[in-house]
Amino acid sequence: MTKLGQLEFLVLLSVLRHREEPYANRIRLDLEENAGRRITRGALYRTLDRLTEKGFLEWELEPSQSPERGGHPMRRLLLTENGIEAVRETRDVLDTFLQNTGPALDDA
Amino acid sequence: MSPPRLAIAILARALRRDPAGPAILGDLHEDFSLLCRKHGEASACRWYWRESLFLALSRIVRLPRPNRWTMRRMNAPTPFRSFAQDASYALRSVRRAPGFSLFTALIIGLGVAAATAVFSVVRPLTLAPLPFKDPGALVWISNVTEGANTSLSGVTSRSGNLRDFRERSTSFSGLTGYNAFFDQNAYTFAGDGEPQRLVGAGVAHDLLEVLGVDPLHGRGFTLEEGLWGGPRAVILSHGFWRQRFDGDPGVVGTGITLNQEPFTVVGVLPRSFDFSSFFTPGVKVDFLLPFPVGSETDQWGNTMVILGRLYQGVTPERAQAELDAIVTGLQEEQPDRWGLAAEVTPLQAKIAGPFMPAFLLLSAAAAILLLIVCVNVSNLLLARSPGRSREVAVRKAFGASRGRLARQLVLETSGVALVGAVLGGGLAWGATRAIARTRAVQVPLLDQTEMDLSAYFFAAGVAFLAGLLVSLVPALQVGEGAEATVLRTEARGSTRGRGGRKLRESLVVAEVAMACVLLVVGGLLVRSFREVLRVDLGFMPENAVAWQLNPSTDFRSVTELGVVTRSLTERVREIPGVEAAGLIDALPLGRNRSWGFRVVGEAENEEGRSLFPHIVAPGYLEAMRVPLLAGRPLSWDDNEESALVVMMNESGARQVFPGQDPLGLRIRLWDSREWEVVGVVRDVRHLSPEMDPGIQVYFSHTQMPDINTLDLVVRSQLPMDHAVGEVSSALREIDPSMPTGEFWTLEDSVDRALSARSFTLWILSVYGGVALLLAALGIYGVLAQSVAERSPEIGIRMALGASWQEVVGSVLGRTLALAAVGILAGGLVSLWAGRLLSTLLFGVEMTDPVAYGGMAVILLGVAAVAGLVPALRAGRIRGTRALEAL
Repeated sequence: MTKLGQLEFLVLLSVLRHREEPYANRIRLDLEENAGRRITRGALYRTLDRLTEKGFLEWELEPSQSPERGGHPMRRLLLTENGIEAVRETRDVLDTFLQNTGPALDDA
Repeated sequence: MSPPRLAIAILARALRRDPAGPAILGDLHEDFSLLCRKHGEASACRWYWRESLFLALSRIVRLPRPNRWTMRRMNAPTPFRSFAQDASYALRSVRRAPGFSLFTALIIGLGVAAATAVFSVVRPLTLAPLPFKDPGALVWISNVTEGANTSLSGVTSRSGNLRDFRERSTSFSGLTGYNAFFDQNAYTFAGDGEPQRLVGAGVAHDLLEVLGVDPLHGRGFTLEEGLWGGPRAVILSHGFWRQRFDGDPGVVGTGITLNQEPFTVVGVLPRSFDFSSFFTPGVKVDFLLPFPVGSETDQWGNTMVILGRLYQGVTPERAQAELDAIVTGLQEEQPDRWGLAAEVTPLQAKIAGPFMPAFLLLSAAAAILLLIVCVNVSNLLLARSPGRSREVAVRKAFGASRGRLARQLVLETSGVALVGAVLGGGLAWGATRAIARTRAVQVPLLDQTEMDLSAYFFAAGVAFLAGLLVSLVPALQVGEGAEATVLRTEARGSTRGRGGRKLRESLVVAEVAMACVLLVVGGLLVRSFREVLRVDLGFMPENAVAWQLNPSTDFRSVTELGVVTRSLTERVREIPGVEAAGLIDALPLGRNRSWGFRVVGEAENEEGRSLFPHIVAPGYLEAMRVPLLAGRPLSWDDNEESALVVMMNESGARQVFPGQDPLGLRIRLWDSREWEVVGVVRDVRHLSPEMDPGIQVYFSHTQMPDINTLDLVVRSQLPMDHAVGEVSSALREIDPSMPTGEFWTLEDSVDRALSARSFTLWILSVYGGVALLLAALGIYGVLAQSVAERSPEIGIRMALGASWQEVVGSVLGRTLALAAVGILAGGLVSLWAGRLLSTLLFGVEMTDPVAYGGMAVILLGVAAVAGLVPALRAGRIRGTRALEAL
């Protein structure tokens, strides 16, 4: 089984959630708005690099015509098979743990 | 709308090896565009700089995560490791000489701050485009009148001119204007609470449209609102809207009451367009209201500033040619028409024009100071270079490569320069904020001054580069295989560094020369300032307080006006301690206007002249302490029923009636009425202390009730607070709803009139002082070093019988010789540069011997003091020192 940090896990999930528009800016916004994680741009790019190095993520440059990007391309992020597997594993571990914890968490 | 190019370049460079680099640049660009729309370009640019620099840094210094593989290589010399070693070594050597490092950083900081602050002030007005749509196409059309009529009336036009230019010209996509005399109309705003005095500027209905300014909320004026008697509408200034309506957009469409009349708020101006900071710096404007362009306002004479937007491809010259033709045509059709002329100037040149000489001077001074800083830093580093050569030679002998040594030296200097740059950034930020907040100086756009980052990086870059180049000297001095020679000669303390000393001495000469230029310029300005202060203003500014009054009622008749003003002056005069009180339409050194007139009996074809009218109530001249020289003063008996009389200033009377006794002679005004001169008073400097008084004529307000505002001046020995309280309550007794919060002392208005001059002077004095200090340090550094180097030689001389006087004298002589060469060079440059100053000087020649002589004395004195310590040190060297050296 592969270890995934919480941020890495969230990033992978976010890429999955944005399959239509899997770009770094969307992921950052998603993390900020829906996970309450404000992370610097540098940290996000490092996480993406790390996930790529681990073989969980792939990306390709995609030309963009949008004037807002000043003619720069976009980076389309894709989860690899290994990446999807790693997310599933982490989810299963969390599920198992949460089910077993159950009422103890709410009552505490 | 694009991010700062330099920032993009830095980031692109940092990301050049990153395959995802282009996408990362795109991500930043996208967020930048978003921020631009939300918060404006300036704030987005700041964000981009911050974000890109951090990102660049985090991508460059990507620390490898320690794992087993990197752990194994920990002791191998990776590029990063050797860099870290060098950095820590550099840090150690900085720590070894903390005084030197701190001092160098401080000098760099000062230079960077001086250059940045001045450039930040100068740039928005001169180099940056005005924040209008396509600002290059905007022009200012002034009415050129013959002679040196510098009053507002001399450059403004009749509104009929605007109407006719609009109809006939084809060069302009829009012609608009505003009433330049708007500050003579005051509005009392009765909201909830104290009545407030507001200033509204009358503008042609299409002003915003022509300038290309979109209201933040609501809309601009309609054509209907711009007609005489049209619907009453106002557009609030951003500042007033925020202050009075808490920035509530809902105020658009509601009504407000001004001078007991209902007005509708139709719009709010954006923050970026502060009417007054462009057109009338120093006068706040709370709202705009439509100024009708038509025959009704045409008869008011020259009131309008005309602005136009040229069609694309039309040059100002072509527009000028067209307007000239229109003017000639109109003059032929209507031979009686007066005040018909047009001169086209690009808007930016017109707004910045009057400030250009001072700005150029300050920019030049800042550049010189920055140069002095570079020279000084180079000098300090060079002074250390012989010692460093020894260290470099030792390290080289142990196998350090030349590149490695150079890198270490560069790192060391970079560290110091970085601290200096940060320090300079802080200082510059503080200075620009202080300048932006000052209310004393009337410079357009000054209140919107922000620290200019590009100027900052430029200045810091220059200082950095100078330090960097010089810091490499020790590494270059130790050539391949020369380590042993260097070590031997350095150990013996020989005079090998003669070439180095020559270089340093020439640097000192350059430094003294540049300091000399700053001192001469400063000296000339100080002398001008003293001359201005010596000018006889014609009135006594001490112990006098003034109020701008705004009676809430419109007077039904002149008689009623007379009754109210009389009771008001008498009531104020009854206050114990008040010596005199008087009323005038506009006090000196404030607003102004001019009227055309002819001397009765003069031929009709004679060219008319213009006078500065002062409409006063009896008692005004006593309150101002303007002495009566001949005839009688105006009295309450000079009213609408009695003969029309005026008083004139003495030089005006001499100009108008040369060689005659003016008393009893008469002038005719535009309204064809004839006025008899009954008194002559001393000249008052009305426009500014530097400007000629011109022809001034005092009218009684009950005979010439052409007044929109009233200024009350009260002279008393009472403490200011007490006087203000007493007078305010007296005024409220007469008119309970009169705002009384706006008062100032006459000394304030004099200070204000001198503010631009004192502002320039103040900055130059600081620069001159810093330059002097740096030059002194430079001299001290060079001589101290040279004495230390030559101590064995001096020791031998002493042993051979040289006297103390001879030794000390030779060192001091050297000092003074260096200074003298510098002063000579600087003096010559100043003579040449003096031409820049001519418009800023007053009562002083460019070649003023006092300024030049004073500069020479100061510099020689400072040089002597700086050279004294090393000279005395040389005098203490004993003959035994020579033996030690052998």
